[in-house]
Amino acid sequence: MRSLSIGGYIPTILILASTLLGALLASNTPIVAYAVNPILRQNPSLGSITCPARGGTLTVIYWGDIKSWNPDSQVDDALNGIAPNLFSRLVALDYNYNVIPDLAYNWTVNSNATEFTFYLRKNVTWHDGYPFTCRDVKWTFEAIKKYHGIAYSNLKMDNLVDVECLDNYTVRFVYNVSFPAFLGFLAWYGTWILPEHIFNNTQYKDWMDPSIPALQHPIGTGPFEFSQYVRGTYVVLTAYDNYFLGRPCIDKLVYQIIPDATSAEQTFLSGTGDILGNTPPPSDIPQLNSTPGVIVKTMPTLSRYYIGFNMLEPIFQNRDFRLAIAMSINRTEINLKAYNGYAFPATTAWLPGMSFWWNPNATYPPYDPDKARQLLDQLGYKVGPDGYRTFPNGTTINLRLLIFQGATSEGIATVLKDELSRVGLKVTIEEYEIATWETKVVKQRDFDIALCDGFHGPDPHNMYLRYSSYAYINFANYSDPEFDSLVAKAATVADPNVRRQLYFQAEEIFARDLVYIPLLDLPAFFIYRAGWHNMPWDLIGTAPIGCYAWAWYGTAPTTTTTTTSSSTTSTPASSTTTPAQTTSATTTTTTTTSTQTTSTPPLLGAQALLIAGVVAVVVVAAVGFYLARRGRK
Amino acid sequence: MRRYVTDRVVSSFFVLISVLGINFVIINLAPGNPATIMGAETGLISQDYIQYLTQKWGLDKPVYERLAVYLWNVFHGDLGISYRYAEPVSRLIFERIPLTLAITVPSIVIGFLVGTLLATLACRKPGGGLDVGLTTVAMGSYSAPIFWVAILLINAFSVRLKLLPPTGLVSPQLIGSNGFDYYLDMAKHAILPIVTLTLGTFPPYYRLTKSVILEQLSEDYVVTLKAMGLPGFRVLYKHVLRNALLPGITLFGIQMGFAFAGAALVENVFAWPGIGRLMLDAIMARDYNLLMGIFLFVTLAVVVANIVVDLVYGYLDPRIRRG
Repeated sequence: MRSLSIGGYIPTILILASTLLGALLASNTPIVAYAVNPILRQNPSLGSITCPARGGTLTVIYWGDIKSWNPDSQVDDALNGIAPNLFSRLVALDYNYNVIPDLAYNWTVNSNATEFTFYLRKNVTWHDGYPFTCRDVKWTFEAIKKYHGIAYSNLKMDNLVDVECLDNYTVRFVYNVSFPAFLGFLAWYGTWILPEHIFNNTQYKDWMDPSIPALQHPIGTGPFEFSQYVRGTYVVLTAYDNYFLGRPCIDKLVYQIIPDATSAEQTFLSGTGDILGNTPPPSDIPQLNSTPGVIVKTMPTLSRYYIGFNMLEPIFQNRDFRLAIAMSINRTEINLKAYNGYAFPATTAWLPGMSFWWNPNATYPPYDPDKARQLLDQLGYKVGPDGYRTFPNGTTINLRLLIFQGATSEGIATVLKDELSRVGLKVTIEEYEIATWETKVVKQRDFDIALCDGFHGPDPHNMYLRYSSYAYINFANYSDPEFDSLVAKAATVADPNVRRQLYFQAEEIFARDLVYIPLLDLPAFFIYRAGWHNMPWDLIGTAPIGCYAWAWYGTAPTTTTTTTSSSTTSTPASSTTTPAQTTSATTTTTTTTSTQTTSTPPLLGAQALLIAGVVAVVVVAAVGFYLARRGRK
Repeated sequence: MRRYVTDRVVSSFFVLISVLGINFVIINLAPGNPATIMGAETGLISQDYIQYLTQKWGLDKPVYERLAVYLWNVFHGDLGISYRYAEPVSRLIFERIPLTLAITVPSIVIGFLVGTLLATLACRKPGGGLDVGLTTVAMGSYSAPIFWVAILLINAFSVRLKLLPPTGLVSPQLIGSNGFDYYLDMAKHAILPIVTLTLGTFPPYYRLTKSVILEQLSEDYVVTLKAMGLPGFRVLYKHVLRNALLPGITLFGIQMGFAFAGAALVENVFAWPGIGRLMLDAIMARDYNLLMGIFLFVTLAVVVANIVVDLVYGYLDPRIRRG
């Protein structure tokens, strides 16, 4: 627990409060997740920036190039990571996926979740000095509806009746259906408030018109203002003096774009950059962690790896066959071999990170290869002469496992293949880039098993969007009328406790049906240089994801800089892990991985390459000389 | 001569058209389209968003119809708008050209000089230690995967020796400044990419020039010159090398054409914002318009380079000029 005496009592209260919130979540007390600490909701000045030290540049080694400077128009993950520093939303998500205030410091919801009223801050100005008012909010959401912004379907724009400005600083959204997931999605993607006074001009054909000046030089209400952008190279932002929570502590924020993960890591190791935002493969984490002056923190996320069976194929329509596969999967082994033990074995239907909506009893059958073999024998799939099981007609069962490119997917698929072969099932891995994977798996259903990973937040409504039979990405063709009706109903129930019960039931059905099998719940890695403080992942309850307004560089004024968390890193156990392990992880704000250094760190990628290179050169030289000498004789 | 040039230009035009058509069809045959990819990126693919984009970009129309529209626009000088960046394709390409040429051209020039020089050195004593050593090095450096060599160089020169900046265009501290320091820093950042590329460009010149020199050494005129008492190195540098340069120059011209295509792998590893990386991103995003624009541009560069090579060749070799 970090206490900042110089910075006044406000941050201390915040951190205390967030710890309290964490503790509450941990004990699984039924408080509404995604509703924030009440302190924050009443006083607009809470969360103000205090700086023990000022000045300097924070350089983020960043993974990708932005597509445009309109953060609401299209899917743009790269811009979405930069946007929290440049733009603001009504509400935001912190690293524990709580909804926290941004432009709105407070909000109310009516009893059937159809009307949402937001109270806006009054001291907000755009980077060009123009005051921010409700007009900007109204125009932004009308534009999302009119130009089909990326948040269009997440925010159910078809059901949005009106965005009214009750006065300059109060805005009300009126829906014609109950929409309890609204707040979560409002805080998530493509909902950045745009400057009405720049965009709203009849001479522009739409909000992506190249002649709009804000598409070359973006204007927002965030803590940093735009300074410079060279496509594919860097983005430079400078501190905005009139940011509504106070001027950021640093002067300059630079995103240096390095798409290749290996060279990004090498660049960071060479001393360039303060944050390695381009996550290296998990096998390199121990090495980075033991590098002097580098801090590595991990935190659970709402993303997970899962597999789905192609339910259009007769073999998978038998639940016993799916059960046999489910029981041959050893998640702990997958975690250790493919993720160096940093992920969390996913043993429940929903992610423990969403503790309020997480039903700990909706579990998957534990690892039991003997039982799996027995089941497969009963099904009549006998082991053939080559050690693989066959159909009753004698042809070998060959399961095509389709994955998309990436070192981690490859690792997981390889371990999975190995595990299934141990019960006699032959698996062939087919690796495609994402577009081909999508065409084959989602469009053509041309697969047996598919490996997928994805974000399961910010609201449990994701269950409907991802797994119900209405969902486009439901590639397995999962269709259980009971599950469908439960998740459809839950989307319209306002009372969180009733909603929770519906999701609990849905999760149990989901786990029982075994059409999708979760493998690993993924952690996020934060890799940065020692000396940086108040990073967004340290400020649960205050800082939006990816926002560096509070960050400062220097020596901490007090010596207590150890984190509160202790047992949270997933110490790889030999047995299949219990959900309790992952629960404890969600309670803490951040966890250092220092406890993991006990395991022997594998060779850093580049070192292995170096050795391989030297060996290759020596061999080539030797062969070359030998051939040349023989030729001369 | 004029007839020759016009012939070449006319046939090049047809080459361009067919390349455009073939590329268009091939790109459209690749699974996935820009709309589904953009939809897939969030993880939550929404059917209506994909439909909206498909209609907005006219991807629901048949391929031949889109090809016709595309060709029509190209003839009017309009390469279209990139789906990914929502900006004119021509602007996206032209802003990358100088940066790409800044690393590809030096690497080809240095490769040509170094390769030819090493070949001459090796031929002073064919089959000798130097020859065998150089051939081995050239073979090794030509066949090593270039992205791997790049990472090794970064690790050696930036991480360990701390002599050169690892990746990027300029150091973060200098971003925003525009003076001499800025360009000096940019030049420093270009060193590793150029070295990496040169390791791949010099071996062909080495092999090619060496084989021609060895062939020439047994020619009558060399024997005559030697018999006249001319020292070996003068024969080699003054007479043999001049003849042996011709194939090297052909290769040089063709490589110069491809210089405009950038070096996707090296640019990606060194985070160098060139055409190659733009092309990689465009392929990943199935950004048809941008990809077509890059292909058209690269084809044009190669075709022009070929014409130039033919002309220069004619100038250098009188036999061709007269014939």
